[in-house]
Amino acid sequence: MIKALQQTAIRRDLRLRQVKVMLAAVVIAVATVATINLFAGHLQKNLMQSASSFLAADRQLIARSSLPVAELWQQAAREIGLKTSEISQFSTMLSSGDAFQLASVKAVDSDYPLRGQIEWQADFQATRQMRQQGPAPGEIWLNPRLLRLLEINVGEKITVGEAKLTVSGLLLREPDSSFSLSAFAPRAMMHFADVPATNVIQPGSRVRHKLLLAGDENLLNAFENRVQPEIDTGNYRWRDARDGDNIGESLNKAENFLLLGGSLAVLLAVVAIAVASREYAIQQRDTVALLKTLGLTSSVIRRLYATRLLLWGFLATLVGLLIAIPFAWLLSAMTAQLMAQPLAFSLQIWTLWPALLTALLVLFAFALPPIDRLRKTPAMQVLRSLPQLDKGFLAKDLVFSGLLVFGLLWLFAGELKLVLSLLAGLAVLLIVLVIFSWLFVSSVRYFKGGSTAWRSAIVALHRHKRATLSQLAVFAMTMMLAATLILVRSSLLADWQAQLPEDAPNHFLVNIAPETVDDVDTFLTREQLQRSPLYPMVRGRLTEINDQPAKEVALNPDDDELQRELNLTAAVSYPDDNKIIAGQWFAEGGTEGLSIEQSLAESLGIKLGDTLGFTAGSDNFSAKVTSIRSVQWESMQPNFFIMFPENGAIRDLPATYLSSFYLDADNKTLLNDFVRQFPTVSVLEIDHIIERIQEIIQQVTQAVEAILVLILLAALAVMVAVVSATMSERQREGALLRTLGAQQKLLVKATVVEFALIGLMAGILGVVAAEAAVWALQYRMFDGTFRWHWPVLIILPLISSVLLALLGRWQLRPVLTVSPMLLLRRLE
Amino acid sequence: MIQALNRPAKNEDDCMISVQSVNHVVMPGGQPLQILQDVTLQIQRGQSAAIVGRSGSGKTTLLGLMAGLDVPSSGAIYLDGEQINCLTEDERARLRAARVGFVFQSFQLLPSLTALENVLLPLELAGMNHARDQAIDLLQQVGLASRMNHTPRQLSGGEQQRVAIARAFAVTPRVLFADEPTGNLDSQTGAEITDLLMKLNKQQGTTLVMVTHDEQLAARCDRQFHIDAGRVDTQ
Repeated sequence: MIKALQQTAIRRDLRLRQVKVMLAAVVIAVATVATINLFAGHLQKNLMQSASSFLAADRQLIARSSLPVAELWQQAAREIGLKTSEISQFSTMLSSGDAFQLASVKAVDSDYPLRGQIEWQADFQATRQMRQQGPAPGEIWLNPRLLRLLEINVGEKITVGEAKLTVSGLLLREPDSSFSLSAFAPRAMMHFADVPATNVIQPGSRVRHKLLLAGDENLLNAFENRVQPEIDTGNYRWRDARDGDNIGESLNKAENFLLLGGSLAVLLAVVAIAVASREYAIQQRDTVALLKTLGLTSSVIRRLYATRLLLWGFLATLVGLLIAIPFAWLLSAMTAQLMAQPLAFSLQIWTLWPALLTALLVLFAFALPPIDRLRKTPAMQVLRSLPQLDKGFLAKDLVFSGLLVFGLLWLFAGELKLVLSLLAGLAVLLIVLVIFSWLFVSSVRYFKGGSTAWRSAIVALHRHKRATLSQLAVFAMTMMLAATLILVRSSLLADWQAQLPEDAPNHFLVNIAPETVDDVDTFLTREQLQRSPLYPMVRGRLTEINDQPAKEVALNPDDDELQRELNLTAAVSYPDDNKIIAGQWFAEGGTEGLSIEQSLAESLGIKLGDTLGFTAGSDNFSAKVTSIRSVQWESMQPNFFIMFPENGAIRDLPATYLSSFYLDADNKTLLNDFVRQFPTVSVLEIDHIIERIQEIIQQVTQAVEAILVLILLAALAVMVAVVSATMSERQREGALLRTLGAQQKLLVKATVVEFALIGLMAGILGVVAAEAAVWALQYRMFDGTFRWHWPVLIILPLISSVLLALLGRWQLRPVLTVSPMLLLRRLE
Repeated sequence: MIQALNRPAKNEDDCMISVQSVNHVVMPGGQPLQILQDVTLQIQRGQSAAIVGRSGSGKTTLLGLMAGLDVPSSGAIYLDGEQINCLTEDERARLRAARVGFVFQSFQLLPSLTALENVLLPLELAGMNHARDQAIDLLQQVGLASRMNHTPRQLSGGEQQRVAIARAFAVTPRVLFADEPTGNLDSQTGAEITDLLMKLNKQQGTTLVMVTHDEQLAARCDRQFHIDAGRVDTQ
């Protein structure tokens, strides 16, 4: 091999503008993809961890019967290296002197909790503490409400069955508190070892036993496989962190958005790479012709350039990864501040493969083809300049690389439809852009008036028609991608925040007896709490559809909602976040009909006008479907599958009432007053769940901002690539003009005006296209309505204009700083 | 050298270059344009030959065809006994690497390499031992001992052409093609370059084929071919 040529070229060509741009684009593409993957991996781990703390474990093996989890399984789990903890839950009466109170008791061993922490208070005046262990044997912790109901103080003894236990603190929050409406009785927590002494667990008692497991994912899976046959018999069931659907959904949306953003960055980088590598190839034609003249065969030339590209690509990839790792670390550190228990960032090498794949792909699909075609340069080129061979290959390149980009995006975004529509959109956009750009270039010469600089700018735009056209198209596309991302980002964040506003209800009141409804209502109104209405709740099964047994005629007879009792309610109006998507809401004072939730209707194949039959206790009743509603289950508002009119079918059935309200952390003491006044009402505190979700949203928001920065960098790289691609021509012209006596000022002004015009036009085309794209996305994803985003619409073209003017000015620098003579010699 | 069986056997006479009834037509913009018309000429081993003619007369095309940079539309061209118009591009490249040197009007040095590296290039291409010593020796012969590590941009036109000449003679080619070697130089420097070219040519016994406008330079060659509108007449 030609050592000197290879070595020096690898080193010296690195100084070439085109090579720099090409490699910068590779660095950006690799860094973006790697950062996203590293960060998403970290976020995922963090989230699983925080979701795990909702289980107090990584997995729970729950006994379906009242029998404890077999010792056999506990041993098996410990043998393979998993941490275990055993807990039992049962309801029993607690007593102290004359006071009796039904409590939901949780007995935990000394290893509980395996994940998360218990929030505990020594007494009412003490500060809240996080504890890693439950009560010691002989002790019991009580929910504050229970303490008040029993009218005792910390340090006194209470009776549980046949045992006496010392109250040693207040149980404020356990990590795996259940968020189901059936958790009525207040909680007490005691040690597992004391359970036999209480003698409350008798054959036939309702006890729930759970085995908590924590450890390495692989070990957990291995254990799960081992237990599976037992689970199949129906004696046990699994619960793992992924079951927490609210949080999972937030994360999925965020990850998809990040990856979509990442794909756009890659797309932009790819444009830069393609443009720069074409430029590099053109620049290298003379060299290749000379090498051929000196006797190099085309296969050697191919090897020469492929090796060079490979080495550069390797370096650029390395740099990209070296940037990504601290960047992802920084992001994690930033988001860690938002989290209660952040995980340390750890580098997971395997998450880097998409970045490596991206590097390979962008290099070989976009950088290599024009460079590889160099070997076809005719040797005759050395004697005279020949027309370029490149033209016919453009279409082939585009088809080939289009397919590859499509594959890459599909891999990243994971949604075929989205990627297809994105690429189709881009293709249509490109055609429209070319037409508009052409119109712009053709019409611009009619605006010749004004200063000399303006005139020469207009003339230049027209003279470099093809360059102007391709610049316009590329810039407009860049602007469109950047604008789309900015717009989607804000609407995505707004969408999330709208789902879970600051004052989203974080406390639920359930089990409100009909006779206390008015008092509760008065209490909530008096305290001026942000609250939902009081909904009556009747538990009933959906048994018939159009007088046929529901399980036989339903589209999906296995639907969970057919297997269990549904919460039926009646209301004057539907909750704010619901939308009627078919039929009509009940007329005022109406008594007929019912409203069903959309997904349930779809799953069961229920249409407007169908008659649904229900069984509640010993009562049977039926009503016609008069409307179908969409419900935002993520909103944490009280929501119902089935709603009746206020005086409808369930009016006379026995009901309890339900409400929700928002209470900020400072006003928590209000709950004590409430509990004292309404001891029979259950209060569900879900503020920590809401906080957790809001935490995730905040973290992801920050990540999105950071990714946006990377994408804008990619956009900048594209611009630099394209401007510098046409620059040698401009520099030559500039040198010539200076030689002919043009003043520097005029030259600068003309160039700045020219680029500012291109930037402005590209900006306008880009944002308008972005508005269309965002509208299409929203229409598909959030069924929003079209609206103009004026701030972006006005600011982005201006930014684009200024940016391009600066870029043009910067690229013109070599023409201005040296003498015209030197310049002409250099540009020969 | 690769040679298929159906190709004519080597021409074993003293002829270094033989052009037989060559026509060359190009299609710029779809219109056929005849560049060379029925050109026939011979150049003997060790001879120096000048091709003179006006701009656009086809002399550079003829040079390129004789050097195997392109193939003619019709006719035959023999270079050092090989019928080069029947060889593939890669075969022609190998032939050039081993036996042909070039000097160009615009010097055609690789701007990213130093003077020494430019001279080394063909030597390494040919896989020669002691390539470096030989390159240094050649640069000394052309009077550039002190400028070996300069890049072309740091050299004057005359100096660049000296580097190009050193590069051309580095592999001791059997034939040297020069395209207007003094075209970009002032007359003083041009004369020096001509002397250098002639000197090395004599030293190495190379066949020299030169395209030039320069009547004086042409006069120093053993033979002159005048080309006019694609037709050649020998003097």
